[in-house]
Amino acid sequence: MGIAFDYAPDRPEYIEAILNGLDRYNPETTTVFQDYVTQQCEDRTYDCYANLALLKLYQFNPHLTRDEPTTNILVKALTVFPSPDFSLLLHLLPPHILTPTTNPPLSSGPTPSASDAPLSESVQKLSLLNTLLEQANYSAFWATLDSDDLYADLIADVNGFEELMRVRIASCVGQGCREVERGVCEGWLNLSGREFEGFVTDICGWGVDDGSEGVTAVVRIPVNKENEAKGTVVREEVRFDQFSRVIRRAYEQPA
Amino acid sequence: MALYQRQPYATADRSKVAADESDEEENALVEDYKEQVHFDDGMDELDRTASFGTSGGPQDMQAQLAAAATPLEYGAALDTKFASYDNYCNLFHYILNSEGPVDLEVPTYFWAWDVIDEFIYQFESFCRYRNRIARQEPTSDDAQLLRDNPNTWGCYSVLNVLYSLIQRSQINEQLDSMKRNEDPNQVAGEYGTRPLYRMLGYFSIIGLLRVHCLLGDFSLALKTLDDIELNKKAMFARVMAAHFTTYYYVGFSYMMMRRYADAIRMFSHILVYVSRTKNFQKNAQYDSVSKKNDQMYALIAICVAFNPTKLDDTIHTALREKYGDQLLKLQRGGPEALPLFEDLFRSACPKFISPTPPDFDTPELNVDPVDHHCRIFMEEVKNTMWSPTVKSYLKLYTTMDLKKLAGFLEVEPEKLRGWLLVNKQRSRQVRWSEGALLDGEIVNGSDLDYALQGDLIHVSEAKVGRRLVDWYLRNLARTY
Repeated sequence: MGIAFDYAPDRPEYIEAILNGLDRYNPETTTVFQDYVTQQCEDRTYDCYANLALLKLYQFNPHLTRDEPTTNILVKALTVFPSPDFSLLLHLLPPHILTPTTNPPLSSGPTPSASDAPLSESVQKLSLLNTLLEQANYSAFWATLDSDDLYADLIADVNGFEELMRVRIASCVGQGCREVERGVCEGWLNLSGREFEGFVTDICGWGVDDGSEGVTAVVRIPVNKENEAKGTVVREEVRFDQFSRVIRRAYEQPA
Repeated sequence: MALYQRQPYATADRSKVAADESDEEENALVEDYKEQVHFDDGMDELDRTASFGTSGGPQDMQAQLAAAATPLEYGAALDTKFASYDNYCNLFHYILNSEGPVDLEVPTYFWAWDVIDEFIYQFESFCRYRNRIARQEPTSDDAQLLRDNPNTWGCYSVLNVLYSLIQRSQINEQLDSMKRNEDPNQVAGEYGTRPLYRMLGYFSIIGLLRVHCLLGDFSLALKTLDDIELNKKAMFARVMAAHFTTYYYVGFSYMMMRRYADAIRMFSHILVYVSRTKNFQKNAQYDSVSKKNDQMYALIAICVAFNPTKLDDTIHTALREKYGDQLLKLQRGGPEALPLFEDLFRSACPKFISPTPPDFDTPELNVDPVDHHCRIFMEEVKNTMWSPTVKSYLKLYTTMDLKKLAGFLEVEPEKLRGWLLVNKQRSRQVRWSEGALLDGEIVNGSDLDYALQGDLIHVSEAKVGRRLVDWYLRNLARTY
């Protein structure tokens, strides 16, 4: 089940054509890629290779840079953690983007929305989210997401962001665990009560055991290839031609 | 929505993991290289006699061709750099846009590589110089001159040259038909059948790999090599510097895509090759290689720290000699290893550039691109720095209580739970097995695996079984 990095199952043909030709450098295709990003946000598809091409156009033509597609691309990349996509996208942004601004603007007026906040501030905020996800600190991720209105603005365009994140986190957890304490799992998924049970049983197909006196409630994750952690013995590979000499001997005249 | 539709990782069967390159192939390369050296010696003589015979050609042109492949003197003035850019433009314009292919007699066999290499080097050093001036002396005369000429050494013109050379020579089509064992001349066209265009086109692909890497676009860098087959008798293997450059940038790009096993495979391949052919290298060529050589050992050290692997013996010994203490610290991980990771990365990474003219009016915005890329890389180092610690403990147990282990390590249990998940995720890596460089399967790169059942950690290990076939065959041969 090899997956090439530059492959995206839902990529339309016209995008494929641009990516494979020299038009990927043509500033006029910027709008095409931007619309494609919007489409990805709406219909929950994802195409990192095409998004990198848009950031490259911005890299070459800084005057064309628009903040919204840039942050939307980064937000989309969060939904596929722990892949290297987020970092690869960061590498194409201007070098000063991650430098902490020395004198933050005095926030005397109303709280800035995503459109007024400088791009570097948004990118750094999203980087923080990415770091928390990559450190598997999921409950801190949700807490940070709720801590600032700017985050709500940033993720507003990405349809179903929270659900996508939950599914992704669940999938990571499912590959590392067989049983998780209900409390811990609720924190990781930022859900509780009926909502939690619904998500875990219907979408993940996991089981929930109610706790009783002295027994904590746990979530049971069925065995899969990754969480069974079976010890393996690497056996040597024997090829037929290793025996060619022996077999040849068998046909030769006995000496 | 199916939960398992898009898995963050899923292990492919171990048996399908590509076997590491066989020694045989390397030996064949070494043999090939030896032949090549003799072949080149012959060529040199041929060239000399040939040029004696036809020295009536335009002297000018010959001087220009030679100049295009010659490095600028160290610390050349800005005027010289501008002039050099104009010369390249004229030369490539002449080669690409004359009526029909031009008939040029190139000064040396290596000329095509040298000219592309020098062209990109000058682009790289110009961008870095411009960025530095804007950062440090934004009011100097040079800054004014750079401000007035924003299009000199522009990224679009550099890429344009490389892509035009590739298209004119139909080199990708040629390589593709060679892959299918067909005659490349069928698709080469009027230009591509000539060695001059074919070589320039070919090395432009390697040039693109390098430019994309310098700009931080690592996936596109690997994508450009789609039509070039590595490890075979590729054309680049005939020019040592090209061979070396290719593997360095491919390896580096893999490392930045967190495909450490693939990066190690690339670096090891070329380092083994260099150590075996060291004695046949002409000295001048070898000197230029030796600095990059050390850089690649540093990168291998980084990759091995991320992804413990058994290295080739030659590499292992050399690595211990060069970076023995550092390697131990890297492998131990934790916060103490961070400065070391950063030092090694900075000493061994390519000289990243920013493609557009800097902002001369706000010097603080002109951050060195190396700092930018290093910062992103260090983020990954920080996220995974506890993996070695976790692994070293888990190796000792088959089951372990999370809270107990947290007590040993003196951290909160929740933090440890995070470290365990991170290490588990990072042990799964995309690894190449066949096809293009960007292809690959997700495999478990670690011999240690575990799963959490509540607070109980179940640990399992992959053991290497006994090797019987050799023993069996040896005894059969003796008695039968």
